[in-house]
Amino acid sequence: MPKITIDGKTLEVAKGTTVLTAAQQLGVHIPRYCYHPKLSISGNCRMCLVEVEKAPKLMTACSTEAADGMVVHTATDKVKAARRDVLEFLLINHPLDCPICDQAGECGLQDYYMDYSRAKSRFAQADKVRREKRRVMGPHLVLDNERCILCTRCVRFCSEVTKTSELEVMERADHSFIDAKEGRALDNDYSLNIADICPVGAWTSRDFRFKQRVWFLKKTPGVCLGCATGCLTEIHHNEGVIYRIMPRPNADTNTWLCDPGRMAYKAAQAGDRLKKGVIKNGLIDLEPALREAASRIDEHHEAAAVLGSPWLSVEDNAALARFAKDGLKTKNYSFDFDPEQGIKDGILINKDPAPNAAGARKVKAAAGGLSFKELSAKVASGEIKVLVAEARAAGLLKEELKAGGARLIVFAMNRSEIPAGAYATLPYASYFETPGTFINFQGLERRTEPTAAAAEGVKPLWAVIGKLSAYSGGSLRLESAQDALKGI
Amino acid sequence: MMELLEANKDMLLFTGAAVLKIGVFLNAIMGFAGLLTLAERKVSALMQDRIGPNRASVFGFAFNGLFHPAADGIKMILKEDFVPGRADKLLFTLAPFFALVPVLALFAVIPFGDYVMVFGYQLDLVIAEIPLSLFLVLALSGIAIYGVFLGGWASRSNFALLGALRGAAQMVSYEVVLGLTLVGLLMIFGTASLQDLVRAQGRLLFGWLPAWGVVVQPFAFILFFVAAIAENKRTPFDLVEGESEIIGYFMEYSSMRFAAFMFSEFVEIILVSMLSATLFFGGWQVPYLYESGFILPGGAQFPLNHYLIAALQTGAFAAKTVAFSWLLLVIRWSLPRFRFDQLMGLCWKRLLPLALLNILLTGAVLLFLGKI
Amino acid sequence: MISVKKVDNRPLNFLERIYLPEIVRGLLVTSRHFFVNLFNPKGMPTVQYPEQKLPLPHAAKERTRHRLKLRADGTPKCVACFMCQTACPAYCIRIEAAEYPDNPVEKSPAVFDIDLSRCVMCGMCVEACPEDAIAMDTLEIPGGALSRAQLKLTKEDLLMTLPGDPSDKGAANRLANEHMKSRGEA
Repeated sequence: MPKITIDGKTLEVAKGTTVLTAAQQLGVHIPRYCYHPKLSISGNCRMCLVEVEKAPKLMTACSTEAADGMVVHTATDKVKAARRDVLEFLLINHPLDCPICDQAGECGLQDYYMDYSRAKSRFAQADKVRREKRRVMGPHLVLDNERCILCTRCVRFCSEVTKTSELEVMERADHSFIDAKEGRALDNDYSLNIADICPVGAWTSRDFRFKQRVWFLKKTPGVCLGCATGCLTEIHHNEGVIYRIMPRPNADTNTWLCDPGRMAYKAAQAGDRLKKGVIKNGLIDLEPALREAASRIDEHHEAAAVLGSPWLSVEDNAALARFAKDGLKTKNYSFDFDPEQGIKDGILINKDPAPNAAGARKVKAAAGGLSFKELSAKVASGEIKVLVAEARAAGLLKEELKAGGARLIVFAMNRSEIPAGAYATLPYASYFETPGTFINFQGLERRTEPTAAAAEGVKPLWAVIGKLSAYSGGSLRLESAQDALKGI
Repeated sequence: MMELLEANKDMLLFTGAAVLKIGVFLNAIMGFAGLLTLAERKVSALMQDRIGPNRASVFGFAFNGLFHPAADGIKMILKEDFVPGRADKLLFTLAPFFALVPVLALFAVIPFGDYVMVFGYQLDLVIAEIPLSLFLVLALSGIAIYGVFLGGWASRSNFALLGALRGAAQMVSYEVVLGLTLVGLLMIFGTASLQDLVRAQGRLLFGWLPAWGVVVQPFAFILFFVAAIAENKRTPFDLVEGESEIIGYFMEYSSMRFAAFMFSEFVEIILVSMLSATLFFGGWQVPYLYESGFILPGGAQFPLNHYLIAALQTGAFAAKTVAFSWLLLVIRWSLPRFRFDQLMGLCWKRLLPLALLNILLTGAVLLFLGKI
Repeated sequence: MISVKKVDNRPLNFLERIYLPEIVRGLLVTSRHFFVNLFNPKGMPTVQYPEQKLPLPHAAKERTRHRLKLRADGTPKCVACFMCQTACPAYCIRIEAAEYPDNPVEKSPAVFDIDLSRCVMCGMCVEACPEDAIAMDTLEIPGGALSRAQLKLTKEDLLMTLPGDPSDKGAANRLANEHMKSRGEA
């Protein structure tokens, strides 16, 4: 166990720990560009130079292993001069693009320049090396080679994390630039992480490009609902509009975030978000739609069925369960979802595309009910006359519904979600607009926080169920999400 | 028919003359008050190195703001006549009348000239020649308090009531001083008729000094003038309105009801000016001008036409009125406002004892001169 | 640091305490102004504003209505960097960015609104602009309007050139200038 002294503070670290991580444990920040905790160490940016006693020259903190008795200084004049000069080198050919660069505000060059340099450039603008700007690389990214400082984080990400190795440093010395290998497109499922890890504005997201300046964005912790992995996310939004989703690195599930997960917010802000109810294919106001749906349910109280959904939060599944048990007093309900789970591609994407199958099972454990097979058999045989379900869960019973001919009453967020043949559709607030609890494939409970306000009249699902129950004459009343969880 | 006319000739002529005098005199006052609203703004502007209102124009002619009173009037008439929901409708309606009518009635006893001979009849240049007109002045100005107090009371508004309370306290207090300052004049001239008071001021003291009220009672004049401004509720004493804090007893009034209150203030300026001129500055008297013409102290005589003399005297009265009105405006825009305790202290602790002292001194001097 | 000035408030003497001589003194001051101005109205400093305008002093010229400068090819110099919107203390600027398909400057404002009813004419937007794209030198002083909508300046209202324009200052404009040259303009 080597003992290392950094800026006068001594620390015992595990063997193999680098000076940079040791300093981090002591709360000493060492600037870096090429170093990333989840990528291999490259040591090419030279930003992390520190002074090590008895060493003949400055050492890179990211690649120097801590040795016993090592004494490190991070704030001597020599180190400061080195940082200033490294920054000057990096900025020699960096264009003055900050006004049009999306990275401005979270840019490593801007931050470290203000912290460590503040020197005037000694190079005329006309002498800067010119490279190709604004190259569209793949479906999600734009590359600006002029802004690149060749830290190679993106190259290492593609070769080590996604193992697709699309990117490479072309040419040598000051001709070097990042490019995709011949004939390759940058189209892996994790490409947007490159925009995140790029310390400058070389890689920018095509989706977020020019939409908003980063310093206007407010950050709310969230959960990705793209699959059963349940990655932790950070939702960046301003004035009720979500602009991008970033990963919230954590030890349990994710450091990165997949591209489909990042784009999941689009559905919540899509133009086809339902604000009113739909009967067959016509839009009507929410209240009449609720009344219509309730009277259809009332016609077949005993023969009505409720299907839970692995796409809904625990609270909303619980509300559905209470609606079946206490509202309709039917035995035909199922919260039995047990799909195959597990990481599909070895990185993040799960075999189960629904985020909350475990949460639905939790409701089943408390409320009981039929198995999924029993319910689908009942639907197929025509025994069930009315089925109340969430749109995507209803999709699981497509064939059975066609065979049995039951009336389908669904809850949907978007018009495109509505399954064919649905009789009534009721809108509900997305989990960007209302809190909800989700349980991922590892059994970890995660909670979403609202970032935006739902459109007027659009309520959380438990509230829609509460109203439906009131209209159908049941005694069930749901005033809050906590009400729904009672007895579950 | 002719006989009937012949028999009541005096009666008819008297009535006709009275109607004529009322028409001419009141119209002159109303016109002057209208112009005062403009003058107030113009004088204040000039005092503050500004230009003042000059934008209202007819066919592009603005005449340096001459149309502003008319524009104000039209605006007031067209405004919504608003009565607060909880207000006492009857008193709310009556209050503006109480504010304006007594003030206008007062002009009946103010002499604006001596007399003119018309077709052999003597026409007194005062609307109502009554022996105790000075007391009528005090009595009627007391009634004006009702306008203030009813206005504030009937509005059912805290701020209006506060303004009205202040107003009533202030007016009642200064009423006392106002009356007492005039006692000295009564003692010296021995008459309570304003016309006789003015005639008495035509005499000369020591053969060359006109015996104007201000000469024989200089001290009383200052007290009277201060009390009159306070009675008029203008700026050093405008706590009733307190524009920057309580807005005043007419806060809830709008349209022409408000205009009545506002207009009564300007009519009161004229009233105070005329009373000051009448009581202390010889009214319509021009020094050394007598019924036959100018007779200077040295004995030189300049005989003048009777009508010219009447015109000169009325003109002198008008000039004195205008001068006092101007002085009142300048005072309004020069002095800061008193605090309420200072206002009351000034009245009861300073002016009232001084007024009493003035009466004592006057009495003592008269006794010494053997006039009593 | 608050600077403290000691004022020596001497007690009033008798003449001042009886108030009247001081009142007369005050009246003399105000009536002197009255008569001087009455007979010499030209000496008053008042300006009849909309008809008569004083030439704006040096710094005030840079605090008049905003404009967005144009490049020689007629495109706005603004690159929608949001610096002015960020700097604005009155939150009166609203920008939406758009992307040029061909111009290498890439970014341009699709929407650029200034709400003059909120603007405090502080000039922070001009200070903040890295592209020399916004200026407050039109010499128009925004005045009253009959509706709020009239006080909202859109990009079209703001885009205007003054004599001496266009300039080629601004970092990102280097790209635009080269682009113009390559197309044979300017």
